[in-house]
Amino acid sequence: MEWLSPMIGIWAAAVSVPLLVLLYFLKLKRREQLISSTLLWKKAIQDMQVNAPFQKIRRNILLLLQLLALGAILLALAGPVLRMMGTGPRRYVLLIDRSASMNATDILPSRLAEAKRQARVFVESLPKDRLFSLNQAQTQVMAIAFDKTARVVCNFTSDRQQLFRAIDAIEPGDGASQIGQALVAARAFAQPVEADASNQSAEAPARLLLFSDGRIEDLPQQAVGQDELEYYAIGQHPDNLGIIAMQARRDFEDTQRVDVFLTLANYGPNSAASDVEFAVNETVVSVRPVNVDKESLASDGQTMLAGKMSMEFSFRSDEAAVVSVRVLKADALLADNTAYAVVSARKNLSIALVSEGNAVLRSALKACGPGRLDEMTAAEFEAKATTDFVVQQPYDVIVLDNVTIQTRPRARYLVFGQPPAGIDVTVGGELESQFVADWRARHPVLQYVNLNTLFAARGLMLQMPRDAEILAEFTKGPAISVLRRQGSVFILTAFDVLATNWPFEPGFVLYCYNAMQYLAAQASAETDGSLRPGEPIIVEGLPARMETTVTGPGIESLKLTATDAGLVRLPAAEHAGLYRMDFAGREAKYFAVNLNDEQESRIEPLKTLTLSGQEVKAAAKPLSRANLPLWPYLVLAALGLCLLEWWVYTGKMKL
Amino acid sequence: MARLDGLDLASRRMLRGQTQGQRLSKRRGQSVEFADHRQYTAGDDLRFLDWNIYARLEQLFLKLFLEEQDLTLHILMDVSESTTMGQPSKALFIRKMAAALGYVGVVHHNRVAISAFANGVTMQLANQRGRGCISRLAEFLLTVENGGPTAFEKACKQVVQDRIGSGVVVVLSDMLFKEGYEAGLKRLFSRHYDVYVIQTLSPEERQPTLSGDLKLVDVEDADTAEVTMSAALVSYYRKTLASYCDQLQQFCTRHGAGYVLAGSDASAERLTLNTLRKSGLLR
Repeated sequence: MEWLSPMIGIWAAAVSVPLLVLLYFLKLKRREQLISSTLLWKKAIQDMQVNAPFQKIRRNILLLLQLLALGAILLALAGPVLRMMGTGPRRYVLLIDRSASMNATDILPSRLAEAKRQARVFVESLPKDRLFSLNQAQTQVMAIAFDKTARVVCNFTSDRQQLFRAIDAIEPGDGASQIGQALVAARAFAQPVEADASNQSAEAPARLLLFSDGRIEDLPQQAVGQDELEYYAIGQHPDNLGIIAMQARRDFEDTQRVDVFLTLANYGPNSAASDVEFAVNETVVSVRPVNVDKESLASDGQTMLAGKMSMEFSFRSDEAAVVSVRVLKADALLADNTAYAVVSARKNLSIALVSEGNAVLRSALKACGPGRLDEMTAAEFEAKATTDFVVQQPYDVIVLDNVTIQTRPRARYLVFGQPPAGIDVTVGGELESQFVADWRARHPVLQYVNLNTLFAARGLMLQMPRDAEILAEFTKGPAISVLRRQGSVFILTAFDVLATNWPFEPGFVLYCYNAMQYLAAQASAETDGSLRPGEPIIVEGLPARMETTVTGPGIESLKLTATDAGLVRLPAAEHAGLYRMDFAGREAKYFAVNLNDEQESRIEPLKTLTLSGQEVKAAAKPLSRANLPLWPYLVLAALGLCLLEWWVYTGKMKL
Repeated sequence: MARLDGLDLASRRMLRGQTQGQRLSKRRGQSVEFADHRQYTAGDDLRFLDWNIYARLEQLFLKLFLEEQDLTLHILMDVSESTTMGQPSKALFIRKMAAALGYVGVVHHNRVAISAFANGVTMQLANQRGRGCISRLAEFLLTVENGGPTAFEKACKQVVQDRIGSGVVVVLSDMLFKEGYEAGLKRLFSRHYDVYVIQTLSPEERQPTLSGDLKLVDVEDADTAEVTMSAALVSYYRKTLASYCDQLQQFCTRHGAGYVLAGSDASAERLTLNTLRKSGLLR
């Protein structure tokens, strides 16, 4: 057995049963009085009734109370509601922003909580389903939570409880805010699926209700129909002091020294003073007071520029370290008050030169100041690659000097001449007497390298796949290109150095140095990445099916297993903070996830959104309850009045 | 009692008695009260010829004298259930009045009859005369029981049919009869009776002090009236009561009967000594 509307039954019973009992008592309470004759009384009553058909209403508190109670019941029967909203059945999409800025606490408990509350209010305010309505069309609501990505938390439904659960389940995130996906999802779901739903397609498009602070990156790229979007601005004041950028890196010259650069931004109308705490491995190293200027008007006279301030910390360490910077002033948005950076251990470049003997290349590589330079033949390399390279990666960069190798362990390669097999590069023939026709001088690999003077007597006609990055071109084919395959990075040089005049040019050593730095940076990027919220954490090169444990903000010892390819992936680091990945028998890895987002740190709620030039003004007032049925209150009032009447009556009887 | 001794019944009419008594009656008879002359006809008693007139007019006239007869006092006392109400109760007052009037009656050699009526005449004490009857009178008043509904007309009919004797009829009752008092009283209004109505109302009836929402129950027939006491209702009640009594009085006056309204809290002595004297029942 099920109850369609148990509450109504309970209400009715709770009201009517005590009322009945009360009336019974009232009836019983009429006091009997013996008199000698009712003759005169009856005549008097008759007289009174006959003589005064419209008798003056006497001051009778009981009558007044009865009238009030009756009035309350009659009003309850009329079914009053607080305010009507949504007359016909419609479809609504609730877009709830859960990005970082919605964590601001200028509205308590938080902007997201307020957005959820207003969304709930909206759902509560929908007209109730009419049990006996002839047409089945009902108001339907869909809920989408979005930050950088959109998630449909509840498809179109008219089930309030389901909507409430879905809205309540929306968790705050630290991501940036992009509405594009959400709009696409909303429109996709709003399309009637069934072909016979012709009456639905004739309807107005689903109405979008956006609960956000308006700090949405991709608004200018989006377009909405006239009156399609209702915007409820959530948030009160813009005061926020946060870290919008942070970087920690080892000094190029002195690799023991780690420099930490950060930028503070103040989005408030007043200058903000605070202490900034700098900690290495959770040990506070220094605390500095700062005073960040207030916002100022930009030169265009419209946009406000945040007051910014750069800071620099440095410390010396050979070991890997986790650096954190904390703004100690508590403000509305906490996520941008702390930033982390992971510094890898000081490590000198280790290079493997696979060559059949190339003094020029060896000396050029030595000039790069590697910590280790091992020279080996192709055969030696093959032997080592099958055993050592799988488990550990002893070399940062492997230089292939016109050799052909069969195995390609995951690594960074600088290739001269013959490209390795199996990377989608084919040799289309020999080239002769080539000059470099064009090159990208701003690419890090070719920085300060002058290729004008390069003359290659012989070269290879390489046919590169489409995703290759061509850095320099001969007149007939690519000369230098960057290619990524299967986790490896290749810089392919389409000629043997010894067949060119390059060894006599200073550009050659520069090229080797740049390439080493570039490839080494690729290696560190792979390991010590600084991530943005919402991005996945990926670790590669692990033994197959290795167990790892991830700990981080909002994550308690999450077990992950590496794939057969040795890849572990945490789908998304939802929150800003420090993530730690523990491996059995290995050093733990840290990942810093920082907000570092000016758009999100600027928490001032926008009163007007501009979508593709179309302005959408925020609703003047936050959503308040509408369609609130008032009859339970009226029934309660009637009950209270009856009780009061009973009390007055018994009081009178005692007198 | 001593003061009651000085009182005697009076009748505004001259009524026929049964035996010779202390009342003048319409019957011409032997007494010292001159009434009239009439012409002599053969067979008249020569002792009553007025010789003085014969001497002057030489015509025979007969002197007529009013005969003195006794008077019957008939007390109709209401002993229905309704008279038990009131503080002091109407029944007590009615008994006191009956006792006082009866005493006055028997002491002056009037014939006294008391009929207690409720649903018809329930008890009757007739033909009491002389001081010796006082104890019987008292015993009757003490033994008579209150109870039952009122059937006034029935009681009056019985009284008239009993032909106890013409004289003064005193009705002691609250006169609150659902059937109406007119039919009953009309039976009494005849040339044989000189009717006095002493209406007795309890203080509660005259000045109701009830309040609240009440279910008024008639003590006789359990008839109910649900009322919510209010100043307006009470004032309507008073008006109704006043007009009821007024109508009763007018009815009585119209038919040559006496009417006295007495509260049950009034002093029976004062009523007897003063009010009834003024109204002409006693002298």
